[in-house]
Amino acid sequence: MNNFPSEMIRGELEEIVGEHFISVKETDKLVYSTDWSWMPQMWLDRGQPLPTPDYIIHPGSAEEIAEILLIANKYRIPVVPWGGGSGTQGGALPLFGGILVDTKRMDKIIEIDEKSLTVTAQAGINGQQLEWALNEKGLTLPHYAASSNCATLGGYLAPRGTGTISTKYGKAEDMFLRMQVVLPTGEIFRTAHVPKHAAGPDWARLWLGAEGTFGIITEATMQVDYLPEARLLRAVLFDNLSNAIEAGRLIMTRRLEPFVIRLYDPESTRSQVKKVLGYEFDGAYMVIGFDGDPDIAALQERKALEICMGLGGRDLGREPGEKWWEHRYDFYYPPKSLHLPWMYGTTETVTTYDKIEKLYWAEKKAVEEGFVDWNLKFIGHFSHWFHWGVMVYTRFIIEEPPADAQEALQLHNRVWNAAMTAVLENGGMINEHHGVGLKLGRYMRRQYADAWPFLLRLKQMIDPNGIMNPGKTGF
Amino acid sequence: MEALPTTDNCRYCLMCRHVCPVGYVTRLETLTPHGWGLTIASVQRGLLAWNEETVNVLYSCADCGLCRVNCVTDQPLPDAIAAARAEVTSQQLAPAIVYEVGEMLKKYENPYVQQTPETGISHGEVALFVGDEAAHRWPGAISAAQTLIRATGVSAVEIGVGRNNGYLASSLGFPETARTLAKATLEELRASGAGKLLVLSPGDYFAFNQHLVERLGLTWPEEVKLIELTSYLHDRFNAGRLTFTTLEDTIPYAYVDPTHGVRVPAGRAAAQAILNAVLPMPGRELFWRGERAHPAGTTALQYTQPHLADQLTFAKLDDMVKSGAQMAITEDAGTLYQLSRHAARFGVRVQGLYELLAEQISKSSAQ
Repeated sequence: MNNFPSEMIRGELEEIVGEHFISVKETDKLVYSTDWSWMPQMWLDRGQPLPTPDYIIHPGSAEEIAEILLIANKYRIPVVPWGGGSGTQGGALPLFGGILVDTKRMDKIIEIDEKSLTVTAQAGINGQQLEWALNEKGLTLPHYAASSNCATLGGYLAPRGTGTISTKYGKAEDMFLRMQVVLPTGEIFRTAHVPKHAAGPDWARLWLGAEGTFGIITEATMQVDYLPEARLLRAVLFDNLSNAIEAGRLIMTRRLEPFVIRLYDPESTRSQVKKVLGYEFDGAYMVIGFDGDPDIAALQERKALEICMGLGGRDLGREPGEKWWEHRYDFYYPPKSLHLPWMYGTTETVTTYDKIEKLYWAEKKAVEEGFVDWNLKFIGHFSHWFHWGVMVYTRFIIEEPPADAQEALQLHNRVWNAAMTAVLENGGMINEHHGVGLKLGRYMRRQYADAWPFLLRLKQMIDPNGIMNPGKTGF
Repeated sequence: MEALPTTDNCRYCLMCRHVCPVGYVTRLETLTPHGWGLTIASVQRGLLAWNEETVNVLYSCADCGLCRVNCVTDQPLPDAIAAARAEVTSQQLAPAIVYEVGEMLKKYENPYVQQTPETGISHGEVALFVGDEAAHRWPGAISAAQTLIRATGVSAVEIGVGRNNGYLASSLGFPETARTLAKATLEELRASGAGKLLVLSPGDYFAFNQHLVERLGLTWPEEVKLIELTSYLHDRFNAGRLTFTTLEDTIPYAYVDPTHGVRVPAGRAAAQAILNAVLPMPGRELFWRGERAHPAGTTALQYTQPHLADQLTFAKLDDMVKSGAQMAITEDAGTLYQLSRHAARFGVRVQGLYELLAEQISKSSAQ
C-alpha cells in the first residue's frame, strides 16, 4: 500500500487502540503472515515471502473492534481475525493484506459459575491458561484440543473444533452456551443466555464455523464439568480394521459413553505409534477410556471390553492406554510431528457408520495409487466417535516433495483434490474439526450444492462489503 | 550456525506459548518462542536481516527456560537464541546497553560495580558460591545462608564473591566472556579443595550444571557435588540435624518460585517443606507456579528491555495480590531485588527465605 493512504489509515487505527497496540513492523508482518498450515510454512521454508498484513492491531475490547471494523468498511480494507494461529487450513492467513486483528489482549475470565458449571471469558484467552484457572476450582472445559497450548477460546469455536475427549463431551460447539459477537458492520450483540429453547431458529450458531467471515467472536460462555474422579484407560489390538471399527460402533450405539476411542489404522500403528510411544504392534491399535464415577466407569469399561473381545480384540492392558494418554500430544511436537521439508496434509473427514469404511479405503486408494511416483504414505486414525458415525483423521506424507515452492504447492493441491473428491463421492464431509480456511474453500460449493447460493446471500447480507477474512470458507 | 536445527524445529511449533512469560505480558505473537524461532530462521533464509527492529525482537526473550522445560522433545531454544545473540554481538549489531554490560562483565566480572572481585584463598570441604546478584543486590542472604550452614555443623568457604556465574554474559551474546567467568569460578573451586559446592539459587545451579556444559562447552569437575542450598537445608532438616522454631503468627504469604526455578524443580519442594516447618500456616499458591512459574524481571531482560522486565515483575506481584498473599518469600537475590523495587505499590512485603530461616533456627540444631 502507498505510504500516504497507509499512514492516514494507520493514524486512524492508532487513535482507537493507542500506539503500543498497532504494528507495521516487518518482523511482526512476517510472523503474522503464516499460521500452522503447511502451505505458508513451506513457502517461507523455501525462502519465499508471503502476503503480509498492512497493520497488526491488538484491540482491548469489543468496542475497539467495532470501531476498527467501521474504518475497514470505510476504506474497504480486509480484516483477518487472529487468535492462536494454530489452524491447519490457512484460515488466519492475510491473503490480501489489510488489518490483522490479534485478539489475545482480550483474555480475561469474566465469571466462573460454580453452580451452573459455566465459564464466561473473553475470546482471546489461551486455552491452556483457561483450563488451569478452571482446574484450580476442580473444574475442566472438556475441549482437550491438541492445540490447547496455543489456541484461544475464540479459535475453539470459530472453526468448530474438536478435542481428544469429544466422544463423551462433544465438540467445542456442544459446550457453547452463548457469545458476544462484533458484526462486520460494527454492531455488537450477545446471543440468548441459554442455547436450548424454542424461541425461533438457532441463528446464534451461525458464527460457529464461520471462521471470522461473519464477524469476530469477542466473548463466550461455555459449559464446564467437574474434573473426573477416575480416568480408566486401556488398549486393545485388532487383527483387522473392520472389526475394530465395528467394536467402536457397538460401544457408541450401546451408549457406553467412552470419553475416548482412538483407533489407529495398521499403517499408523506401525509408524506413528512406534515412533512416539515405542510400541511395535501389528494390527489396529485402539485406546479406549472411561471416566467419571469409578464404579460406573469400571462397569462401562468391562462392557466395552466384552464387545472388543467378541470381535477378536486382544486386551493389551492398562499401560499402553495410559501411556498413550500421557503422551497424546507428543505427536505434535517437532521433530516427532510431521515436519518440513516433507509435504503433508490432514484430510480428515466424517461420515455415518454405513459409509465410513468404504470412504476410508476409497481415499486411501485415490491418494496412494494416484501419487505412487511420489512414494506417498497414507495413515489414519479414527478419533471422534458419535452415535451415528465417526471421524477419520487421514493424513498423507511425501518425504521428498519438489524443492521449488510453486511446484510443491501444485502437487499439494493435486493430492488434496484427489482426497477430497474421494471423500465427497463417498458420502463424507470435507472435514470434521480443522475447519475450511483457505485450503478447503474451493470445495464448499460442491459440498453444499444447492444450498451454496443461500450461504452466499447470507454472507452478502451480514458482510455487505466483504471485508471479513476474504478468501476463507469459500467466500 | 549450530542453532539452526533448533530454530527450524521451533519456528512453526506453538506448543509452549501458554508458558512463555514475555508472550503472556505482551500478547504479541512475535515475542513468543515461535516468533523468536521464526525470526532467526527467516534471517537464515534471507527473508529478514539483523537490524535494529529484528535485534530488538531477539533481545526480548527472557532466557528463563520455560519453553524448554515444557517442551516434550527438549528443544534448547534458549541456547539457540543465545547463539543468535552471539552472532549479532559479533557483527556489532546489538543494542549499546548490551556492549556496556558486556564490558562490565569482562572487566569487573559483574554488571553492578566497577570493582573486580577478590579471589578467595580459603580451603575447605564445602564451598558456597556467592556470585554477583547476592553480593550486590541482596547481601543479607549471604550471612543468613552462612548462619544456616553453620547450624548444620558445617563451615563453608565463600567463592565467587561478586562474580557473575557466566549466565548473564552468555545470555547477552558473549559466550567467551561467559567461559572466562565460569573458568575463574572453576579455578577458585579447585583451589579451595572443596568436594561440595553449595549455591544460593536455582539460577546458580543451572549456570554450573546445564548451562556450563551445554551452552559453554565446559566440564564440571566430577569430584565436586553441586547442591542447591535449599535442598541441602531440607536434607539436614529431614535428618534432624537442623531444627526450627515455628513462628506463632504470620501474615498470608506465598512462596515465589525463583527465576530459573523451572530449570531445577527439586528446589521448590525443598523450600516449601522448610517453610512449612517455620510458618504456622500453609502459603498461598500463585497461579504462575511450579513448571509454569514465570520469572520476575531479572535475567538479561532487565538491561535489554527494562520495560518488559518490569512488566514481568508487575505480573508476579499481581499474581501475589490475586492469591491473597501479603508477603513474598523466595531465596533468589535477583527475584527479591526486583520484587522489592515495586512491592509497596502492590501492598506486598518481600522476605528473603534464608533470612527468615536463619532467625528461626532452634538451639537444638546440630553444632
